[in-house]
Amino acid sequence: MTRDEIKDVVLEIIADIDEDAEMEGLNPDEPLRDQLDLDSMDFLDIVMELRKRYKLQIPEEDYPELATLTSCVNYLEPKLQNL
Amino acid sequence: MADSHYSLIIVGGGLSGLAAGIRFARFGESVLILEKHAIPGGLNSYYYRKNFLLETGLHAMTNYAAPKERQAPLNRLFRQLNLSRKQFNTHEQFSSRILFKDQLSLDFSNDISLLRENISAIFPHSIDSFDALLKFVQEYDPFTPREWISTRQTLNDYLKDPVLINMILLPLMVYGNSEEHDMDLGQFVIMFRSIFMEGFFRPDDTIKEFLDLLIDKFKSLGGEIRYKHGVSSFIQDGDAIKGVMLDNNKELYCDAIISTIGSPGTEKLLVGSPQSKHPVGQMSFVESIYILPHECKKTIVNDQTIIFYSLADDFDYCRPKHPIDSQWGVICFPENFKGLPPADHFQIRTTHAANYDLWKNVSRQEYKQMKGKYAQESRGVIEEIIGNFYQNVVYEDSFTPVTIEKFTGKECGAVYGSPLKVKDGRTAFNNLFVAGTDQGYLGIIGSMLSGVTVVNQHILSAG
Repeated sequence: MTRDEIKDVVLEIIADIDEDAEMEGLNPDEPLRDQLDLDSMDFLDIVMELRKRYKLQIPEEDYPELATLTSCVNYLEPKLQNL
Repeated sequence: MADSHYSLIIVGGGLSGLAAGIRFARFGESVLILEKHAIPGGLNSYYYRKNFLLETGLHAMTNYAAPKERQAPLNRLFRQLNLSRKQFNTHEQFSSRILFKDQLSLDFSNDISLLRENISAIFPHSIDSFDALLKFVQEYDPFTPREWISTRQTLNDYLKDPVLINMILLPLMVYGNSEEHDMDLGQFVIMFRSIFMEGFFRPDDTIKEFLDLLIDKFKSLGGEIRYKHGVSSFIQDGDAIKGVMLDNNKELYCDAIISTIGSPGTEKLLVGSPQSKHPVGQMSFVESIYILPHECKKTIVNDQTIIFYSLADDFDYCRPKHPIDSQWGVICFPENFKGLPPADHFQIRTTHAANYDLWKNVSRQEYKQMKGKYAQESRGVIEEIIGNFYQNVVYEDSFTPVTIEKFTGKECGAVYGSPLKVKDGRTAFNNLFVAGTDQGYLGIIGSMLSGVTVVNQHILSAG
């Protein structure tokens, strides 16, 4: 997957988790949690959705890597490069 | 046999089982719900009589929250189940009344300030201590496992006035307390928040449409539900459960199992299980349903949704010595919520504590006679409070603790389950968990959150 494709996947997952999420004007370098008012349970749903879709195991110590949209893409890029 | 093995089997298609099923189907592999009856819902189900759809349990849903209150239990639940809260229309109560001795009354709505104003007017000496209690309830964490703490003792310390204490306890106990006389403080806090701080509402339609929504979601995520499939025992393998034996003697296997049929019922499915650790609850109820033409509504009720009454200035929440205790109870008007589309008919539902043994140990004929006799006793009291209505009734039905036991599987008709709750959902078996009423969450929203929580903490996290 390309970086743009990964970004779209992450946004799509968030939109499915939270029907109120306002994606427009999202700053890719600011924490998603602050901008979208996601709580820890929502956040776990992102992890589980990635696990379900791509059989990705994301250990808890890596959760901080998913803080912003850009850091998500950086973290997922090598893991999804062969898809 | 591939079709007889599931990642997760859920025993019971009530609200906690359906919520657990949806949650697991969303992120997990195969999941099967086994429901003993022909329709789902458990305690909160429905039946048809003379073309009327009658709900079994639902007076109102608790835990009201507007869609924008993202962290409220109701909205969290919808997100966890991937259901649209925006498309779920809700109708709040007008107000409800706690009526003692026919003259003392406290009104409350989904805005705590109405209750506060009422307490301030009727118990002026207690308003400061009520404010202190409110602060305590807001800050208390009821989900941390801890020893049983007496609610009555805590309320004595805060409020002192015994009448006010009983008035506050009546709605909270009758809508969710499995213990007699007193209540665990954690349960009190959960109930106080869900009724007085969040409040009553109903969806657009009946419980049937709500259950349909959940079943559709569950199936769309690949979940499977089998009706008329009771479980007769668990297949044990050391300290794990390998699967279930069905009533029809077929065996099904699974990696994990969630039982929503209560702790006493779950223990019964264990072969050679030691003596039951979880006492059966003593509190059960009789409920009468009266259906009247819609035009009768205006002569009976104005803007009250539910009335909680006691004919004395105290009340003892316990199994009565008689078949029913008409000295206190609940009168609910399920059509009387803000903005509900007008129905053809108007319903009155009344609830009283009842004694299971006295309804159980009688002949069929005596049982029928008792139903008539005590419905009449109940009506006498109810008509004193809301005025005469019986002459206009077009259909009536009632159910007793025996009916509840038969259709919900709750032993002794104990709708709120065992007084001993399993807060973390764990059992003596490493892949068997309990969810629902006996986990200590209450009401429709509460039991659904219980199902979600058990799946999150014990099943999905392990994968």
